[in-house]
Amino acid sequence: MKTFVCIKYVPDTSEAEVKVNPDGITVDQSRFSFDINDADNYAVEESVLIKEDKGGEVTVLSIGPKQSEVMIRMAMAKGCDQAVRVEDDRIAAHDPLMVARVLAGSIKGQEFDLVLTGCYAADDGHMATGVALAEELGVNHASMVNKVEVLDGKVKVHRELEGGLAEVVEIELPAVLTIQTGGNEPRYAPIRGIRQAQKKELNVVGLDDLGIDPAEVGVDASQVVLEQLYIPEIEAKAEFIEGEPEEKAEKLASILVKGGLL
Amino acid sequence: MSTDSQTFTEKYDLLGCIQCGRCTGGCPVTVRADLNVRQFVNNAYFEEKLDELARLAEIWDCTACHTCAVRCPKGLKPLEVLIGLRSMIVESGKVEPTVRDALQSVLLEGNPWEKAKATRTDWMEGLDVKTVGPGEPVENLFFVCCTIAYDPRVQAVAKNMVKLLNKAGIDYGFIAEDETCCGSEVFALGEEGLFEMLVEDSTEYLNEFTAERIVTLSPHCFTTYNAHYPDLKSPVIHYTQLLDSLVAEGKISWKGDLEKKVVFHDPCYLGKQGGVFDEPRRLLKSIPGVELLEFDRSRERSLCCEGGGGKMWVESEAHGERLAETRIKDARELGSEIVAVACPFCVLTLEDALKGLGYEEEMRVAEIMELLGEFVEEQ
Repeated sequence: MKTFVCIKYVPDTSEAEVKVNPDGITVDQSRFSFDINDADNYAVEESVLIKEDKGGEVTVLSIGPKQSEVMIRMAMAKGCDQAVRVEDDRIAAHDPLMVARVLAGSIKGQEFDLVLTGCYAADDGHMATGVALAEELGVNHASMVNKVEVLDGKVKVHRELEGGLAEVVEIELPAVLTIQTGGNEPRYAPIRGIRQAQKKELNVVGLDDLGIDPAEVGVDASQVVLEQLYIPEIEAKAEFIEGEPEEKAEKLASILVKGGLL
Repeated sequence: MSTDSQTFTEKYDLLGCIQCGRCTGGCPVTVRADLNVRQFVNNAYFEEKLDELARLAEIWDCTACHTCAVRCPKGLKPLEVLIGLRSMIVESGKVEPTVRDALQSVLLEGNPWEKAKATRTDWMEGLDVKTVGPGEPVENLFFVCCTIAYDPRVQAVAKNMVKLLNKAGIDYGFIAEDETCCGSEVFALGEEGLFEMLVEDSTEYLNEFTAERIVTLSPHCFTTYNAHYPDLKSPVIHYTQLLDSLVAEGKISWKGDLEKKVVFHDPCYLGKQGGVFDEPRRLLKSIPGVELLEFDRSRERSLCCEGGGGKMWVESEAHGERLAETRIKDARELGSEIVAVACPFCVLTLEDALKGLGYEEEMRVAEIMELLGEFVEEQ
């Protein structure tokens, strides 16, 4: 099996205070911690599990800054074999289609069976890059995958649907799978492994090296214009219900009925 | 397997063990877990058994309290055999997600709590804190600790220290955002490579400071620096040692009257491991109105709270009452109104136990700095 796994370096905004910069379209990142996107971490684990089971090799692919190399080295410490990091200011990175084109351009011309990526990026939350990548590569895809079984020339995957439903599909290889969280348990990358991974090949490339025309992946090619980022105003309110338990229950019930919730 | 040329047996001096069993006999977690450290030392002689031993869940029950090391007549550290076995699991990458995330956070952000490095000094906001950089001469260089820096429950330890130092006019300086985890829990969780890296990097960084002494707020940092950082230039002391000497010299004193019965819980990393027993007691006695009580199990015999040894990130399969609950019940039986501690982990574990037992109305857990802070306010 020859697998590519596409990963993204994202800020952890779960607890951090998010401030929009005066330009209105970027966020102050100075106080964030950064790490591999959660769903991508599961994609890395899945790629390594497939390699351990079926053999082959895994290439990490990421578009991101120099600082993201620690994340790439961690993926290689876990078992990925080599990596390509794309860095080029001309990429319209806010548009998942442009990102998909760059990723596809990095893969095209090479043999592959599977391309794995997280189903969702924690920063922009488009859930579109993986599917767009399949389109750009002209191959099959399955999204929201939480179980992968490699068969002869195809994969059988479980897709997580809403309402607790699962869909099982078989698709012909080569294919792109977008991996949902929770399907495996991403391993730890021990520091000795990370040090050993320094010996593995990590190529840093730009659009010119990949033979990608900047005009096709830049702001002018993108049909997505990022107009504004803002923190939504808090509109919810809390009301404390006073009284004896029976009174409280009665008041609560009447609020729920009036609100159309019961 | 040990990763260097030493065998596991050589690395942990297993042949030095006479199998007397004092380690297991003294181990506080045996009352609630199946851990038998003597048996692990015995079985680890057989290199071919190591993989199997490392997969046993009990290796994660150890709290690294060091009771076994204190009691070993041969001067061995049986607990480190368990840490060695943990290392094998860590090297395979197949650790609990909580352990994985804590270790990775130390590497990426310099703390095990998955907090951004850039927010490490947020606790300083609104305070007149003196910070120093490398090369600036300072008498007392303060090392805060990851838990005290980030956990709102114990930030008072650092905040009150700043107020006290400012009032007393002591020459001090805190390290700003560049302060990085001492690795106490990294060591105990068995991430040898990461710990070696921390020792190397932090030794180099801390040696750039021109400090007469380094003062740690947590006993975990205190013991880790003294036990595992042989090349540090400045001596490392715990804050109770500094304050004890300042009180003795008449440089600080407390106003007000506490009028409480206080029992001191010896943190394992301060007492058993750091040999500091008297300073916190003298410090508590120096507070007007304090009636200091003693646990039956005190000083070297102090009962572990189960907060160390990486246990903040490992829920073991132990059964029965938590040791912290036993400790709080003992304190209540003594009639103490305050359980005083000098360790952020002890605060968290003992307070959880106290709340769980529903004793909040009658007693409380307090870090010594919290008590002192109340009196600094009144000065």
